[in-house]
Amino acid sequence: MNLAIFLEQILNGLISGSMYALIGSGIALVYGTMRVLNLAHGEFYMLGGYFTFYLIVQFGLPFWAAIPLAVALAFLLGVLIQKLTIEYLIVRDNWVFTTIAATLGLSIVLQNAALLIFGERFNSVPYYVSGVMVLGDIRLPWQRVLIFVVALVTIAFMTWLLKYTRIGWSIRATSQDRDAAEVVGIPVRRVYMICFGLAAALGALAAAMLAPINAINPWAGIPILLKGFVVVILGGLGSFPGAIAGGLLLGVVEAVGVQLTSSEWRDVISFTLMIAVIWWRPWGLFGKK
Amino acid sequence: MFKPFTLQARLGMAGALLAMLLLPAVTADPYVMHVMVLAMIFGIFASAWNLVTGFAGLKTFGHHAFFGLGAYGSALLAMHLGLSPWLTIWLGGLIAAAAGLLIGTPILRIRSMPHVAIVTLGFAEIVRICVANLSGLTRGEMGLWGIPQFEGLTLPYFGKVSFTPADKVSFYYLALALTVLMLFVIVRLMRSKTGLAMLAMRDGEDAAESLGVNLTRMKLMVFGLSAFIVGIAGAFYAHYLSILTPASAVGVDLMISIIAMVLVGGLGTISGPLVGAVVLTVLIEAMRDLENYRLLGYGALIVVIVMFLPKGLVTLRDRFFPRPQET
Repeated sequence: MNLAIFLEQILNGLISGSMYALIGSGIALVYGTMRVLNLAHGEFYMLGGYFTFYLIVQFGLPFWAAIPLAVALAFLLGVLIQKLTIEYLIVRDNWVFTTIAATLGLSIVLQNAALLIFGERFNSVPYYVSGVMVLGDIRLPWQRVLIFVVALVTIAFMTWLLKYTRIGWSIRATSQDRDAAEVVGIPVRRVYMICFGLAAALGALAAAMLAPINAINPWAGIPILLKGFVVVILGGLGSFPGAIAGGLLLGVVEAVGVQLTSSEWRDVISFTLMIAVIWWRPWGLFGKK
Repeated sequence: MFKPFTLQARLGMAGALLAMLLLPAVTADPYVMHVMVLAMIFGIFASAWNLVTGFAGLKTFGHHAFFGLGAYGSALLAMHLGLSPWLTIWLGGLIAAAAGLLIGTPILRIRSMPHVAIVTLGFAEIVRICVANLSGLTRGEMGLWGIPQFEGLTLPYFGKVSFTPADKVSFYYLALALTVLMLFVIVRLMRSKTGLAMLAMRDGEDAAESLGVNLTRMKLMVFGLSAFIVGIAGAFYAHYLSILTPASAVGVDLMISIIAMVLVGGLGTISGPLVGAVVLTVLIEAMRDLENYRLLGYGALIVVIVMFLPKGLVTLRDRFFPRPQET
């Protein structure tokens, strides 16, 4: 294997990893703030993909208009789901289990509803940008470059949102201490709603960017959810920066692992990595004990 | 859990057992027998899942891994080593238990329910992918067929009993015997000191630990036992149907059905998982035409029960026929 191909694989790994980072950071945001493990997160990805597909292919919108619209729809859907289910469960006893079970049930409902509504066909979207970027011996389609750029911009935006805006302060305060946040007047329930919406939006954005490469079907969310879990375990459950780093790391590890074995073992590699990390550093690779 | 069984409870158990024993005398229709055998296999699975989730408070979502390991383990041992299924179902259980201990060790040390949920799900996915990819051994997605049947037996009073696909009634009694045995183990465990310690652990880990419960050892023991029981259910399933596919034996759909059954019957009760398994299995068979909506229904059921009927169907009875508070 020559160096250029190897580098190309690493770059591709970073690009997939940037999408894992978006998905993982959604899970981390919800878990970090609400302590809710959302098993329906993969379905935000799946539905985001369908929104993108219908807006672009059926309604003929250009991608730069369709993607923000799909992301906005997913945000509303996330808010709605939070309002209808988690809102009631989180205030009861035994909420740790009931929220996991309810989101699991919800994920099955959404998958099968999507199957009934959209059918089991694989739907894919044309490339947003064509052409190939050539850097010496390394060749990358512009589509993949675009994915990476969008991921970086999104991560920068989310970091800004969490660090420098009132919403971000409220989210971080709530995640540190819910009761204290409530005492100083932070509308904790609205924070929960926004977090769920943001997580859904991040999932949908990943789906929209990947739609030209990975076709969307009703089960598209399942592997994504599991990948997202690996990411949050690598980065420390509930840590937003951890999820970003964990996502990029997972992408690279998978790229190298697939080079060494074959693509059908990719998921086994990532789950084994996850279990190994839980064994040695249950608080995540980057976090403190 | 530690009160002596009331007369009512004893009568209920005896009645249920008698009804199950007599059912083949009422109708030996192969289809009814088949549905009941499946219901009992799922009942054993559901009871074992309830043992870890309802009684010990370890919320796992990957128990289908153990079902698949037991099923494929027992089937492959019987096929390649020529061992009798009467032996291999126990070996299948042991394989599942070993896997349970292996995966339990890293997660059960840390007290975080989400970690347990994530790792068990991930582990089940590893098992499913391995079963699907190692097609030289398991025939992958094509499905493993030609799994040996249980050999016939000669029993006193009954004479010769055989277990071919046509002998649904003998499978029915075998499944019933297995169910009663597994339930007996679970009930004995829950009514022992260990069971008390387990409930204490569920209701307050720190308090239980301060009173001398070794949390890690207790969790590993329950997890291993539960995996063992689920493995046996899977092994029985393999030799009953004689065909296994990764989706039917290690699919996440299986876990979804089991969760729905336990939640319908009532999490953390002895009879709940069995009742849930029978109710849902029979209900699904009765509504075969709606096969496409089966999973949709299970998912919706889980959401509705979690939100409105936290104790399962029993909640309805308590609401409409309130009983004096038990002390």
